[in-house]
Amino acid sequence: MPVKWLLYWQPSTGSTVSSQTLVDVMKSIESINGVRTGRWQVTASNHRPIQRDQSMGLPQDCARELLGLTFSEVPSKHYFILRGEHMVVEAHANMQNIMEKLQLYRNRLNIFFEGFQYQLGDFQLKAGRAVLAHSENLRGIVLEVEYVPVSSLEQTRLLLQEFVEMWQEVVTAQNMAGRFTPLEPNYSDYNLPDQYSWQHTALQYVNLMVYFLHAQRN
Amino acid sequence: MECIVQGILETQYVDALEVLLQGLCGGLRETLKVHEFYLKSGNNMGSVSSELNLCCSLSGPQPVWTVRHVGGPMRGAASDQLSALVRSIFEADISNNGLRFLYALGYKLDYEILRTGFSFCFQRVVPITVKVSCICRLPKLHAIDEAVPVTPTLYLVEVFAPASADNYAEVVAAISSFAEFLAPLLHLSKPGVFTGVVPTAATAAASLISRAALK
Repeated sequence: MPVKWLLYWQPSTGSTVSSQTLVDVMKSIESINGVRTGRWQVTASNHRPIQRDQSMGLPQDCARELLGLTFSEVPSKHYFILRGEHMVVEAHANMQNIMEKLQLYRNRLNIFFEGFQYQLGDFQLKAGRAVLAHSENLRGIVLEVEYVPVSSLEQTRLLLQEFVEMWQEVVTAQNMAGRFTPLEPNYSDYNLPDQYSWQHTALQYVNLMVYFLHAQRN
Repeated sequence: MECIVQGILETQYVDALEVLLQGLCGGLRETLKVHEFYLKSGNNMGSVSSELNLCCSLSGPQPVWTVRHVGGPMRGAASDQLSALVRSIFEADISNNGLRFLYALGYKLDYEILRTGFSFCFQRVVPITVKVSCICRLPKLHAIDEAVPVTPTLYLVEVFAPASADNYAEVVAAISSFAEFLAPLLHLSKPGVFTGVVPTAATAAASLISRAALK
């Protein structure tokens, strides 16, 4: 699977993120001959444990938070992330039905990442917004960069860095006040290998969901 | 949802059953070697207590992990009339850290077994699977190489098929009619209804083995 880098829009001091930012990003991609190829969506969900008896407290060794991910590109899979336990789990989408039956964790909130994808030579770009489900409250703007020919994280590192720098020049030329920044991926903490997979992608989106929710609180 | 019947067969007649199934099916035999973990939810976890089954199939080149949740059986007068048990079932393949994941969700290991044997799949109204297995207990935690049969003289035979709320009666009928082919060797009934071994098994097995030898 090709390596993907997930970036988020960091506005310059004094400016804010708005829906217009996404429109400008898409115009920027089209300005360098990016071809729109379709829509995409990622759903990230946050769950908290259900206790039978509130006065008893939870068992010490059980996860306090369960995060879930689904990708429109792989509807047959569902991903779970336990941040406290540093674990990424890949399961068949049926696992969601099992979790509903078990009634162990309650869904607290969902964030949708959604937008359009573009082909640009060997790169595939996905530009989109992060919104809270039901409220349409904008949490951020994201850009996923995928280098199609290579699956090794190590081999693509320099190349993707160069792409991000080139991309910043495009953004600056469009007079957009801000820059796209990657969140430092912590793959080794989760024992994820060098060969890139959907599990790596799931971790990146979860990190970004947590970042957006945290940024809003501050 | 699935429809299921099961029965027991003396170990000495397992080869005869295999010959019979081979004849009925035409050769789609699969070897079974599955490490099964039975888990229970921890104290105070979840709005209800729950049980879960994690299976690790070891018969292929790579282990395949699957989570199974078996729901309660269909109840009521209509279901009493059915010759097979109808119950909800959900299955999902999971990555190889599935056991650690379920522990982290508060599940505790209740017991574990190793299931060895074989299975056949038949296409009737729906795909019907026959699983013939020896159930082994593990004397030490996860020690599948030291597995010991729980009942060395008996094998468990399960016949099941996927169903939905719309077609379960039809599926039960298909399973019942299929079970008749196996009747000379074993009784099949709803899980929990013990029917024992059949007196004709020795004769039927001898006949099947001798016919197989002639071919």
